[in-house]
Formats: sequence, C-alpha cells, structure tokens
Amino acid sequence: MTNPVPRWAAGVCQGVHGAGSRDVVYVPDNPLSHVLGQLRERLPDVRLVLATREEEAFGIAAGLFLGGKRPTVLLQSSGLGNSLNALTSLLIPYRIPVLVVVSMRGDLGEWNAAQMPMGRAVRSILEAIEIPHVTVESAETTAEVVRVAGLRAFETRLPAACLLPRRLTTGA
Amino acid sequence: MTRLEATRAICTVAGDAAIIASLGHPAYDLFAADDRPRNFYTWGSMGLASSIGLGLALARPDVRVFVLDGDGSLLMNLGSLATIGLLHPPNLVVIVMDNEEYATTGGQPTPTAYGADLDAAARAMRVDATTVRTEAELTAAVAHQGSRVVVAKVTESVPTAKPPLDYVGIRDRFMTALGGVRG
Repeated sequence: MTNPVPRWAAGVCQGVHGAGSRDVVYVPDNPLSHVLGQLRERLPDVRLVLATREEEAFGIAAGLFLGGKRPTVLLQSSGLGNSLNALTSLLIPYRIPVLVVVSMRGDLGEWNAAQMPMGRAVRSILEAIEIPHVTVESAETTAEVVRVAGLRAFETRLPAACLLPRRLTTGA
Repeated sequence: MTRLEATRAICTVAGDAAIIASLGHPAYDLFAADDRPRNFYTWGSMGLASSIGLGLALARPDVRVFVLDGDGSLLMNLGSLATIGLLHPPNLVVIVMDNEEYATTGGQPTPTAYGADLDAAARAMRVDATTVRTEAELTAAVAHQGSRVVVAKVTESVPTAKPPLDYVGIRDRFMTALGGVRG
C-alpha cells in the first residue's frame, strides 16, 4: 500500500515532464518531498540531482543546459537568497533557461518568524531581477501552470519561476 | 609553473574536451592560451565553474569535461566536491589553479596560503585527487578516467588578454561546438 500522492505534487511532476524537462536539480524541503517521491516512483526517465546548496543547483542546471538538456530546479523560497549571484551573473546574462519551482515559506500558514522576511520578499526580488513568476492557485491547475512556466523558460531562454504557496502544499 | 604555462599544457592535451573556466584570471589565461570553440568563459558566478562542469558532464557523458577553477573560487563552493563525490561522473576533471591568492582582486592570500588543502578536501568528499607542480605531472594527471580533482600549484602570471564580453556569443559558440543541441 502506498501513501496517497497529493494532487498538487502529481501536478508538479506532470508539469515538469510536460515542459520537456528530464533533469531535476533540487535542494529538498518538506512539501517537495512529495514531488521527489512521485518523480522517483512514476517518472524513471527523470534524472534527480541533489545539490548541497541552491546556488550550486543553478550552476549544475546551467551545465545541463549547455549540454542540451532542459533543467528544472526545485527549491524552498529561503534558498532563493542563496541563488541570486548564480541567477544574475550566470543564467540571465548568458540566457540560460531553467524552470524554477519554489516551495514557499513565509506566506499564509507560516509558523516560523525566521521564514517571514524572505517569504515576503520573494516576488519583489524576482521582479527586481526580471525573472517572471506565476503562483499556482489550486491543485487542479498545478500541472498546466508548471508546464507553461517551463515552456516560457525554455522558449525565451531565461529562467522562469513557479511558486507553490503553503495553502497549496500544506493545506494551510 | 605559472598559471598560463599550466593552462597551455592542459590545452595541448585537451583534444575535443569541453573546458569550463572560472571567472577572472583562469578564464583570461584560457583565452590567451587557446581560444577554442569548446571553451566556456564565465564572467561571474564565482565558485560555480565546477558545478557547471558537473552538469555538463552529466548531460554529455560522451564529452570529456575539464574545469579550470581557482583556489578562491572552489573555496566558495566546497559543497560541489560532495556532489561530485556522490555522482562521480567518469568524464569530469576539475583542475584547481592554486596560486594561494585572490589574484584577480589584487593578490590577497587565500586560506591555501596557510595550509588549507583542497586535495585533502576532495578526498574527504570521496573524489579522487592529486596535487601537481610541473607541466608533465599536470598533463599526466588530467589524462584520467573517472572524476578527479587535480590541484595544480601555480605561480601567478599577469594575464595579457581577456575573452569578449559577449555572453550569449560565448554560450552559442560553445553549444554549437558541442553539437547536437539547441541553444
């Protein structure tokens, strides 16, 4: 007997796959564990690469793209702060696309004050560095929103972000 | 051995390998030594050269990947050694041009000047590693099957040329040279 897979997590997997991404570089967080488990079980053609830090994940993703792949990076919003130099001095100037899937902290349902400042700033930071972002509003639309964000990245050759709010991932 | 001499030695044995160069002096010397289409010059993202090389090595197992890193740069991203040790792609060699200083920013000493040992750090992360001091040792060390870190103890040499500031041009030339891929 297997644990039920949250519908939003299955949707993330479908969206990543539907955008043509077969390489997922990640730094885990709790909600993303559902996505990672589903990718392992259901999509064996997706390669999972664990990074020690989010900035490193974007470096690995850049190399994957240079080798002809369509990379996805999964991270928690706190890790966006660790990623800014990679995004602004590598991916954006060299026009290296990555589908960025962000598990949000600091939004509705947050219990940890240490997560609040970055959580509040995520959208402003993405806008300041001109990375487009979209927020998934429901489990039903997750697959399509993630897929379209991925296509935007790979077709425009720039990173594009898809944000997963806590009310989606934890039911907060 | 100066860094430029070491870079030239690598280029003589690189063949059709892809070379990822860390920003600043390692990239400048690679451009001066041999401006090959399979060179990828970074102009930022300090610390990430080995990560870019790892991603490329995973994506293209048919391509040998050399990374020209710096000691200061690798110290910014030591976690990369753990990831390389975990995945150990057989086609990745990270060459650390260890001049024991932040040469690009004015020659401030790095921790390797005081004994920090990147060879030992790589081994601790389960990456094969060796330290070389001559061009003959260097060219022998990079001719290796299996992921490896080669710490090349070099002296600083003042770069005389810089690659173009055409980021997308660097990317497109590199990807075209690797073939079979779309930019």
